Amino acid sequence: MDRRRVLGLGAAAGIAALLPSRVMAASDPVPVLTNWTKLTLQLVRHTATYSPPVAARAFGYLGVTGYEAVAACDGALTSLAGQLNGLTPLPRPGEGAHDMAAVLQAALSAGTAHFFANTGPSGQRALATMTRKLDEQVTAGLPEDVAARSRALGLAIAAHICGWADGDGGAVVANMGFPESYTAPDDPAAWVPTSLVRQQQAPLLPDWGTVRPFAMPAGDTCSLPPPPAYSEDPTSAFYAEAMEVYSATKALTEEQALIARFWSDDPMLSSTPPGHWIFVANDLIARRQLPLAVSVDVMARLGIAMADAFIGCWQAKTTYNLLRPVTYINRVIDKGWKPLLNTPPFPEYPSGHSTVSGAAATVLTAALGEGYAYEDFTHEREGLDGRPYASFWDAADEAGISRLYGGIHFRAAIEQGLTQGRCIGAYTVALRTLA
Amino acid sequence: MKGCVLGLVLCAAPVAAQTVPQFVEETTPSGLSHQFTGEWEYMVGGGVAAFDCNGDALPDLALSGGTAPAALFVNQSGASGALAFAPVESGIEMEAVTGTYPIDIDSDGITDLVLLRVGENVVMRGLGDCRFERANEDWGFDGGDAWSTAFAAMWEAGESLPTLAIGNYINQREEAYPWGSCTDNWLHRPAGAAYAPPLPLTPSFCALSMLFTDWNGSGKKSLRVSNDREYYEGGQEQMWHLEPDAAPRLYTEAEGWKRLRIWGMGIASTDLDADGYPEFYLTSMADNKLQRLVTPAPDALPDYTDIAWAKGVTAHRPFMGEDLRPSTGWHALFADVNNDGRADLFVAKGNVWEMPDFAMADPNNLLVQGADGVFVEMADKAGVASTHAARGGAVVDLNGDGALDLVVVNRNGPVQVWRNAGAVGNWLAVALEQPGPNPTGIGSWVEVRTGEHLQRHEVIVGGGHVSGIWGPQHFGLGDAEQAEVRVIWPDGRVSDWRAVQANAVATLTPEG
Repeated sequence: MDRRRVLGLGAAAGIAALLPSRVMAASDPVPVLTNWTKLTLQLVRHTATYSPPVAARAFGYLGVTGYEAVAACDGALTSLAGQLNGLTPLPRPGEGAHDMAAVLQAALSAGTAHFFANTGPSGQRALATMTRKLDEQVTAGLPEDVAARSRALGLAIAAHICGWADGDGGAVVANMGFPESYTAPDDPAAWVPTSLVRQQQAPLLPDWGTVRPFAMPAGDTCSLPPPPAYSEDPTSAFYAEAMEVYSATKALTEEQALIARFWSDDPMLSSTPPGHWIFVANDLIARRQLPLAVSVDVMARLGIAMADAFIGCWQAKTTYNLLRPVTYINRVIDKGWKPLLNTPPFPEYPSGHSTVSGAAATVLTAALGEGYAYEDFTHEREGLDGRPYASFWDAADEAGISRLYGGIHFRAAIEQGLTQGRCIGAYTVALRTLA
Repeated sequence: MKGCVLGLVLCAAPVAAQTVPQFVEETTPSGLSHQFTGEWEYMVGGGVAAFDCNGDALPDLALSGGTAPAALFVNQSGASGALAFAPVESGIEMEAVTGTYPIDIDSDGITDLVLLRVGENVVMRGLGDCRFERANEDWGFDGGDAWSTAFAAMWEAGESLPTLAIGNYINQREEAYPWGSCTDNWLHRPAGAAYAPPLPLTPSFCALSMLFTDWNGSGKKSLRVSNDREYYEGGQEQMWHLEPDAAPRLYTEAEGWKRLRIWGMGIASTDLDADGYPEFYLTSMADNKLQRLVTPAPDALPDYTDIAWAKGVTAHRPFMGEDLRPSTGWHALFADVNNDGRADLFVAKGNVWEMPDFAMADPNNLLVQGADGVFVEMADKAGVASTHAARGGAVVDLNGDGALDLVVVNRNGPVQVWRNAGAVGNWLAVALEQPGPNPTGIGSWVEVRTGEHLQRHEVIVGGGHVSGIWGPQHFGLGDAEQAEVRVIWPDGRVSDWRAVQANAVATLTPEG
């Protein structure tokens, strides 16, 4: 589908009263979106505070930024102001012509710089380079006044969203998200640190469940039933879950080990689990030439749903504060057992990757359809071949079970995580975007 | 051998308690005035080579400068007294130098220099009297064109020239996506009297430190490489097999190698427990690692466990001051600064460059080992807790008094030097000499024992962060006035134990 034709259709959709006086599209806005998303994925990997919840938050706000920048120029798109918690009406175009790509470029460059202000020297250099190159690209051939007006609008949109973000309770991440101390409750079921890394002797971001959500009402909106009761009795459900992890990891097939690694998505070594899904969406936008309106809608919804998923997931993790398989198995079953994956430094139940993947599959399925087959090339540059999936839920289910193969989650955390993600994702699906 | 031997006074070492080292900074009065400067291409690098270039037995200093010219400072320190240096024109005054390593490449008894650079690496032939000349062409050395940030060297059997390993970092011309652009490391192997074209060590993952080591007591050297995970994709820490007349090949998971992914910035090694297998200290951001073989034994797998926490050397955040954000570690070196017979550990610290999630006021560490094998931070008490953005360094006896002094290269800040002015135990310096190639026995193991206390040093060129020392091996002896020393030479010959007096330089040859 031709993207510029889509722009034309949007403008011709009979909402002239909502349109700025004139909207141009001297260059294709979609590459602006996909290029900034690619860079954002790198910045997530290379910025020390960007654990998965923090990454999901940035994807949420940047997704909204891209969407609102395009919505400001395309009356066929409904603003998310008033639909997302705390988002007030955004700046709109004034008199004179605006260029959509230039508005989008200004908004995303400013927004990305804001959320990654703490990235290192190479990230700052990349931000400056991307800004300069895309500025040159989108303003080539534009009248100066149009370029200036478009830039001002984009910057105003970004400033509005960044100001909104700053008040959500998740903007400041100290010590990479780790509290200075942690005293484990006197409870054998309680999470205890599993790492020899000194910084990771307290659970990551224990208050993340109180961060303001985007689309769902509150962190506990999609609360979960408790996990199986802790027991060391070999006939108990809890023991059975642990034995399932132990047995599975002892007899992993090559394919199962590959699945565990494909979805491991470790922070600081990858773009994290939400980044994995953002990569998939961005790749589909480029490969399948999705229309601009659909593209910004997908990126906004995906970011929103995954940000909310981590808030809900962390609320439950803090509530149940359950120990990890490695702690239980070493204590009760085999003191020498080691999981295939590095155990993340926070409580077990539910599985964050499962919750976020459930939310991602929910919104992607709603946006692009049931049975949407695709190939996932997220880790191609790291030497892992693309993996084909018959649907987004096919992938989400695999992401969930990968945590059992990796030895870092019990089955209940995976199944309930996927369920929680579906519940949280539904709030994002309910947002009104495309007319 | 058990108990007291040979009627010598050997049983007193090591001393029972940790002696707090005392250093005095003498940067300004010493005349050592130099800076390693630069922006993105010089966020890593900043090395110093400590070696004697004029035959007075005192280490002179070759300092990298980044955007400033490299510089050589002749050591004019008085015997056992205050430190003094004077800059001299030496021939190394070129820009874009990130690291400096001393080595006698042509085995003529005059130390040469390897200059790692952003651009072409240069080997400088020592001419004597602290003068050097470019020797790339004479030695067939292809300096390439990369951002070089790591170095190691060893002599392979039968070769007249050392094998040189050079680690490279990011493609320096990549602006928007530096990640995943790691340039291949190179292995420069000799072919007769000159070097063959360098072999790419593919895959390479942005090395910031490397060293050759006989990690398993097999008599064979392997190449350990510490890599910066910030820039690689699909990478990890590495170790290469190096077999004669065979292409290098990586140790694999099937051989027991375990995947470790850190911001690898520097390697220090020593045999802390004198069991014949060296431990490796890997600097990084936040927690640093101290690796010990899981099963130290002949035919051991290269499977390491991290004992940094147990030994008190995680050094993961500043130990003093208000800034408690995670630390950034660079050069590391085991050295006995109080001569109590136990290796201590110096770690240079400093923010990469405006990384707000990491400490900006990040003091260097001086971790002093106690009798229980646990290290205790003493940098502040010892007076070396500088918070400049440190990179390279050397712990070396600059005034010949038997107490190790300290020089540190800071990024966009002054090079600093401290004189060790504390009460220290007795000491021994061991110099190796052998005829022909490899005149100083690189690759040997030097063993020193006092009573039942054994110390072992592997003689290496490499490791740390772009910094090297060329000179005798230093051992603290505590109260012992004599010691025994022997050498396991690179060809496997083991010398007899030889009794030596403390507080002197003992020169050993393969003949005794």
